[in-house]
Amino acid sequence: MLPRCVTAAYLAYLAAPIVLLFVGSLGELWLNTLLPTGVTSRWYLEVAADPSFRRAFSSSLAVAVATGAACLVIGLPLAYAVFRTQHPTLRSVARALYLLPVALPALVLAFGFLLVFSSDTLPWLGSIWLLIAGHTVLCLPYFLQAVVADMQRLGLATLEDAAESLGGRPLQRFLHIVLPALRHSILSGLIVVAALSIGEFQLSNLVAGFLNRTYPVVLLQAFYGATGFACAATVILLALALAAAMLGAWSAGGAAALAFHKR
Amino acid sequence: MSGAVALEDVSFRYPGGSAGIFDLSLAIAPGELVVCIGPSGCGKTTLLKLIAGFLRPDRGTVRIAGDDVTSASVRSRELGIVFQAYALFPHMTVRENVAYPLRVRGIEPPARRARAEETLEMVGLAGLGDRLPAELSGGQQQRVALARALSFRPRALLLDEPLSALDAATRVAMRDEVRRIQRSQNIAALLITHDQDEALSLADRIAVLREGRLVQAAPPHAIYDRPADGFVAGFLGRANLIPGEVSGADLVETPFGALATTSHGRPRGSRVLVLIRPERLEVAPSPDGPNTFAVEVTRDRFLGATRQIDLACRGTPLRIETLSRGDVRYVRVPPEAVQFLAAT
Repeated sequence: MLPRCVTAAYLAYLAAPIVLLFVGSLGELWLNTLLPTGVTSRWYLEVAADPSFRRAFSSSLAVAVATGAACLVIGLPLAYAVFRTQHPTLRSVARALYLLPVALPALVLAFGFLLVFSSDTLPWLGSIWLLIAGHTVLCLPYFLQAVVADMQRLGLATLEDAAESLGGRPLQRFLHIVLPALRHSILSGLIVVAALSIGEFQLSNLVAGFLNRTYPVVLLQAFYGATGFACAATVILLALALAAAMLGAWSAGGAAALAFHKR
Repeated sequence: MSGAVALEDVSFRYPGGSAGIFDLSLAIAPGELVVCIGPSGCGKTTLLKLIAGFLRPDRGTVRIAGDDVTSASVRSRELGIVFQAYALFPHMTVRENVAYPLRVRGIEPPARRARAEETLEMVGLAGLGDRLPAELSGGQQQRVALARALSFRPRALLLDEPLSALDAATRVAMRDEVRRIQRSQNIAALLITHDQDEALSLADRIAVLREGRLVQAAPPHAIYDRPADGFVAGFLGRANLIPGEVSGADLVETPFGALATTSHGRPRGSRVLVLIRPERLEVAPSPDGPNTFAVEVTRDRFLGATRQIDLACRGTPLRIETLSRGDVRYVRVPPEAVQFLAAT
């Protein structure tokens, strides 16, 4: 009985802010009462009309997609290298390297970026590419973990040996075996990356330029204004994170299906 | 130049270790099934990898159909390999798995589909082409692996402990299937196993490996009847191995007494290892008569068709396999059942 009570209480605690945000986003007025009074859709319309939010929305989307692409392009070969290397030292170095950003607070990375990229030699602070690079460093470990674990589970090395013995060339083995066999973990890895990137605040807040601030960064400003407006903006962030996850799923699924059916 | 697959004085040592393969020569004739057996770590999987091309020998030559392939790629060797855990491609249907070697060779879809169906029929899986490997039983997956390894008409077949992942009943049935399929394709094959029943029942020839060296290669009955040494005798079939010293032209002295043998031509005083197969020992009704000894039973196992009994004969352990249901108090050793092996 007690564990069930604790679970219920915890779930309520978890859900309450989301429910309140949702309620708040639809409330007309919310001042010193438990719940807001009146029902309106004006907050959503205001957020949708706000130019800085519109810009942040598309920035976040662009950064998330680009981060996903970077993780795929860098992460897949890296995962493969980590998985296939026989060298124990190389293995542990690679492992440490890709786990480091998990242990490293995003704030530390952001300060490092501030220091390095505000110099005259590398004056890239504020560019969207630097933002994407930062998100990639933060998200890559999660992608790698998902893919490497799947490689081990599948026994990918033996599958490749089999394909080689059956006459498969390296590119054929990659397109016919590696990519399709890993499609589920690539997909779920990209969903995680998209969700992380959309919600990322610490690094984005310090590194993003004024014109490519991401949605969470702009959102913070909203809480200095009307409550309903801030709630509506937050609900939109939730929806955005969800949409990015779907987009990631769709693109990875498409890529895998393409590789699978091609010849 | 002899054989579909031939190893000539091949040596390979794993970097930083002492394990490997040493000065091994072995030829597999076209259509022949050679079973390679040995305890774990004896190098039998290494041997398979050297033939397949996953490993390169430090010395020696690997030939396939007479061609030197020692430094050829895995791909170009055109060998069908059945892996221990089958290594079926999980995202492909059974038909796509079997057609895969044809697909990478650029054969058009209708032709490769037809060949895949034909091969599936040959292994007894007609009609299952649209299934995924995960939807099949272990025995069926094994058949798919075989079909995939054969669909492109390879130059030889290599099987790495192909039956070890199956349950006991399926394993015995699949043993006959592997044999039938290999025969029907008339393809040279090397099968790796650590199961002596599998080796004895399947092989045209058995190659016994120990610590990376080939101890003996001979047909099953020859290897059973005339093992090269005590290791082979103990590894293939059960064996009573007793140290002895030759004491006459047809006599050997053992820890439990003098044993009459057939005339053996070994010099008096030479140390030998005496081999007596348990099924060659006879239960005797009385202690009278030549080569008959009193024994005590230490363990009696009833196995249905036979009984396997551990005995002590003046402190020396002996094992007998007999059809007799009665008490065992005396055993007779027929002189022709006594074999000499080199003492090690």
